[in-house]
Amino acid sequence: MALLLRTLARQGVCLTRPRCSVFYRHAAPMGTTAKEEMNKFWDKNTKLNRPMSPHITVYKWSVPMMMSITFRGTGVGLSGAISAFALAALVLPGSYPHYLDLIHSLSVGPYLIGLAKFGLAFPVSFHTYNGIRHLFWDLGKGFKIPDVYRTGYTVIGLSVITSLALAYL
Amino acid sequence: MAAIFRLSSVCRRGVKPLFYQSALVARPLVVPHKYQEQHYQLTARIHASQALYGSSGSQAASLHWTAERVLSLMLLALGPAAYLHPSPVIDYSLAAVLTLHGHWGIGQVLTDYVHGESKIKMANAGLFLLSTVTFAGLCYFNYNDVGICKAIALLWSK
Repeated sequence: MALLLRTLARQGVCLTRPRCSVFYRHAAPMGTTAKEEMNKFWDKNTKLNRPMSPHITVYKWSVPMMMSITFRGTGVGLSGAISAFALAALVLPGSYPHYLDLIHSLSVGPYLIGLAKFGLAFPVSFHTYNGIRHLFWDLGKGFKIPDVYRTGYTVIGLSVITSLALAYL
Repeated sequence: MAAIFRLSSVCRRGVKPLFYQSALVARPLVVPHKYQEQHYQLTARIHASQALYGSSGSQAASLHWTAERVLSLMLLALGPAAYLHPSPVIDYSLAAVLTLHGHWGIGQVLTDYVHGESKIKMANAGLFLLSTVTFAGLCYFNYNDVGICKAIALLWSK
């Protein structure tokens, strides 16, 4: 009884009326946003100069981990390449066919050309196929660990096959 | 709440102390749990309505997430479209969609690795500049040169 009375007293409730409004007293809105909380954490962290706990240097690498960082790496790389191309288009004086002919005249040989084509095609293929895998995850599908590995190997296989096919075109 | 009423009525009727004691032992375990359940239910409802009306937080992040996925699907569709029907429309669409997809993608990378108010602001400003130059460059290429679709075709015909 004492426990109940204490609980009720804390809420400021009287026994006679049915309670609904008391619950709103607990539902106070947060004083800070998630972004503010995050910034507060990072400001404190950087000020204290805490050493970073080892994570990627000690954790055992797995296929999903490697695919994930490769997905990010290909994304950043492709984006950088597109930006470099756009910048070159703005800055360089000649036209695109002119520069293509320049590369032609270097006469690199078919193997290197094939290798270069594979080198261009693989990041695009891998990023595209893994992107589709990500979109399925966004729908909530394929999160079970066997499915993660199965779809992962499928993406790797498809990327290699597509890149080889494109390189031979 | 009903349990509290029941106990108080039990007290008033003056039930035997033994029974009352056992009821005391059993009930407090039940009542706080029920009280807490209802408490969380109503609190959840409150937060849900706040999200809908955006008083303590906006839907911007959620909408951005959806827009990112929609854009990815559009880019996926542009691939075969560019191969089957190369044209200036596809060239400019590719320029826009590629730049925006890259801009949002790098934005997520920066959000993950850059911390601290001023550093975040500077990084995002730099990214905005880069994306603007990229889009300008791609449009310039589409207008004054062969265009993206033709460029890839020429490169591959080597």
